[in-house]
Amino acid sequence: MSVFRSIVTAAALATVATPALAQQEVVWWDFLSGGDGVRMAALIDRFNEEHPDINIDATTLEWGVPFYTRIRTSTAVGEGPDIMTYHLSRVPLALDEGVLSEITAEDLANAGLTTNDFYERSIAAASSDDGTLHAVPFDVHSVVLYYNRDMLEGTNYLDADGNLTGMDSLESFEAAMAALVENGVTEPLSYATADAGTTYRVFYTLFSQMGGELITDGEVLAGDNADKAVQAIEIMARWRENGWVPEQTEYPASVALFTSGRSPFHWNGVWEVPTMTDLAASGELSFDWGAVQIPALMGQLGTWADSHAFAIPQEDQPMDPEKRAAVMTVIGWMSQNSLSWAEAGHVPAFRSVAESDDFRAMEPNATYAALVETVAYDPRSQIAGVASPLYDAVQNLIVPAVDGFVTPQQAIDQMKTDLQRLIR
Amino acid sequence: MAVIRNPRKNALIAASLVAPFVLTFALVFAYPTFQVIRLSFTDSPLIGDGEWIGLDNYWRLLSDRLFYTSLWNNGYFLLLTVVPTTALALGMALLVNKLKGRWQALVLALFFLPYILPVSVVTEIWTWMLDFQFGILQPVITLFNGDPVAVFRNPYWVMPMIALVTVWWVNGFNVLLFIAGLRNIPRDLYEAAALDGATARQRFLRVTWPLLWPITVLVLTLQLILQLKIFDQVYLLSQGGPFNTSYVPLLLVYREAFQLNEGGYASAIALVIFVIILVVSVLQFQLLRIVGRR
Amino acid sequence: MRGARKVENLVLTVCGLTAALVWIFPIYWAVVTSLRSESHVVSDDAGLLPDGFNLTAFTDALFNTQIVRWYFNSIGTALIITIGVIVSCMMCAYAISQMRFPGRRLLYGIVLASFMIPAQALVVSQFILMSDLGLVNSWAGIILPQLIVPIVIIVYKQFFDAVPKEMREAVILDGGGEYVLLFKLYLPLNWGITTALAIITFIGAWNAFFWPFLVTTTEDMMTIPVGITQVNDVFGVAYARLMAVALLAAMPVALAYLIFQRRVTEAVMISSGVKG
Repeated sequence: MSVFRSIVTAAALATVATPALAQQEVVWWDFLSGGDGVRMAALIDRFNEEHPDINIDATTLEWGVPFYTRIRTSTAVGEGPDIMTYHLSRVPLALDEGVLSEITAEDLANAGLTTNDFYERSIAAASSDDGTLHAVPFDVHSVVLYYNRDMLEGTNYLDADGNLTGMDSLESFEAAMAALVENGVTEPLSYATADAGTTYRVFYTLFSQMGGELITDGEVLAGDNADKAVQAIEIMARWRENGWVPEQTEYPASVALFTSGRSPFHWNGVWEVPTMTDLAASGELSFDWGAVQIPALMGQLGTWADSHAFAIPQEDQPMDPEKRAAVMTVIGWMSQNSLSWAEAGHVPAFRSVAESDDFRAMEPNATYAALVETVAYDPRSQIAGVASPLYDAVQNLIVPAVDGFVTPQQAIDQMKTDLQRLIR
Repeated sequence: MAVIRNPRKNALIAASLVAPFVLTFALVFAYPTFQVIRLSFTDSPLIGDGEWIGLDNYWRLLSDRLFYTSLWNNGYFLLLTVVPTTALALGMALLVNKLKGRWQALVLALFFLPYILPVSVVTEIWTWMLDFQFGILQPVITLFNGDPVAVFRNPYWVMPMIALVTVWWVNGFNVLLFIAGLRNIPRDLYEAAALDGATARQRFLRVTWPLLWPITVLVLTLQLILQLKIFDQVYLLSQGGPFNTSYVPLLLVYREAFQLNEGGYASAIALVIFVIILVVSVLQFQLLRIVGRR
Repeated sequence: MRGARKVENLVLTVCGLTAALVWIFPIYWAVVTSLRSESHVVSDDAGLLPDGFNLTAFTDALFNTQIVRWYFNSIGTALIITIGVIVSCMMCAYAISQMRFPGRRLLYGIVLASFMIPAQALVVSQFILMSDLGLVNSWAGIILPQLIVPIVIIVYKQFFDAVPKEMREAVILDGGGEYVLLFKLYLPLNWGITTALAIITFIGAWNAFFWPFLVTTTEDMMTIPVGITQVNDVFGVAYARLMAVALLAAMPVALAYLIFQRRVTEAVMISSGVKG
């Protein structure tokens, strides 16, 4: 964080030396840590170098509820940033709270962008119901299955090239885990079982592979969707009971279980790709790794997904037009340069980058890029999205149900009532 | 007083002396107190205006299950902390009091040390001590439980463990109060008791305990008020989970105001908590005084 | 008899020391952890005894977080709060204790009553107030609500009440006014309690969490207790670094305490009114 900050300062000082230019200070808040954070810091650094007239002053805050709480509070008191990262899943909730400033046609022109530069679905997710744009999409990110080639060596689950194979159903996946346990592996699949975000991503992936729908015409878990949700939790609970997943594990520890070579499988976001790449590059990863799209465990392909986007907070005091233009310059530049962001595992939202040969050749992204066709986004509702009531419910009900403190049926019944009450 | 002064000038001087405190008090205490009462009758967001809605917030509070849960949890937390820390502190103080010279200073310093740590340092250290995978205390837990426990994720362990951390943190302060109390007990009382042939046990029950009672009341009262307002440790260790088993009233205020943007409702909760704290501490203080007089 | 006494003393000392060492084991363990490499911390052969002296975690903590900035904020705000509280409360307590003026009883009544009001119940409206004043995320915003510590007035008043009237009259005969009385007589007579109250106020302000946590929105304005909670995410799995940050955060006050131990101990006793 601070190393990068001092680089920024150094860059800023360097520009002071050049002839007096009125420099726009752009205050930037994001929630990007780990490999993501490093990639974004490098991007910001490059931007500042290339733009003597604009300086991004970046702060990283804690992901999730703390980030969005601070955004809301600071924006309300007029102390918000000039630009922030935002999850598209949360846009309906944000519109409800009124924290996002509209991105006008003029803004887009200042960024050198048009809505056609992005996939239609992303633009729709970033807009209000009446079609006004409130955020500029940056990527699509999802969960993938990381695997340890060395540990799977000699099993039926690697093909001749050393790629994962034969995972086409829940049975085969569970058989693989059972076989690994027989061979002395303690926790064949690591994921952050104590973390609401991760638990939700696993749950929602299984649920959507059964064709489940969280909200149907304003009704939470309508019809047999509740049964599908119960089934998804039962599967996760079974994995825990069988000792296939580590119990009550926090996010960092779940990553460590994979990188230290204890768990051959790891279910996590594409944003951990740079962690693996970096560790492998520095020789700290003692094994060969790969990452694939989550297999069709429940009959059909489908993966939880969300998007990072850039947004401008809505404050009482309108932003100085020149500053706003500078902010849009930043957004435009970031979109154009999102190939570097793809190194953090993400799929760029900017079409010309996502469709470029450079991106198509990028590994492991290319291996799992097909998942974009079957992704399952959060329902478009003000109760859904990162740090929403839905996440609260996952933390409060689904995590304990997986841990066996309440039954899956009880958890889902409670979740249905709790969330339904919040839908107006 | 013999010196006759101009009362007007006198009042002006007095005003200038009290002004810094009174003005700050009016700004950051009296005015906010008035505001929190006013807000509790509105549906204001955190920042911005709302409509007057009368008692609606209070009716809503009455049917808010999480409010009762959090009150219950806070009550449980009081049970786990107030009397245990008082007893523990008394025991430690008696032990320290028996030690001599440099040893006494050293042992006392070590007992007191945790108290001067910032709360987030305390929670960081204990999160590490109790870490599910690598925590140094997990073997101890395994000894009793058979399995390691992710204590802050477990509905049965979470409150007792937050209580343990809290007692560890604040106990040193209570030890000091008891030591001060012990030092105030005149030596000759013990000598007289010894001459009467009183055993150590009798000396404690007839001399130490009765003379220490006012301190005990003080410690109990301070702890009660302090632990009724618990927020920091819960927020930092468990965020109120799992499934609200460690939710406490102040966390509710924080969540409603700062996460859900319900300034009016949060104010109503805050006021109710305030009244509860006031009533409980006054009641307890009176009760303990009566017990002491008996 | 003497021999038995000696044995008893020895046993007690050993008991006391053992208890104290068990009590501070968490701090010891934090130190041991912070001096290890990250990979050694989680390895199976990481024993209870300190092994190695690896300062990487500390240099990482110092240079990869804004901890220096947080120190600065903490020391600055805590000092201002301490001075503000001591001066304003001392003056107010003096007026209440030694002067007759209209509203005196009412004022003292309010002070006593506000001692009972939990400041936490006011955070919502205090936050709104700071927002109206444009003080969110500023030192003034952190400081202002912490300036009200009614107990300081109550303690000061008791001590001022106890100053013999003859001393006061002597100064008055020399032509001294109220301010002269306060700063040349009452304050010097009560240096002990003043330093005690200052120490307590400083520790309280340095360790304050809830309010600074609410009122700061960016990392560069955070105080130590709030700032270190931000470190988790930046580091990922890094127990040694987490412990290093925690220890660095605790260091200044802990060192000050170990040096001025006797003073702090007395301060707690005096200001709680247990010892006069």
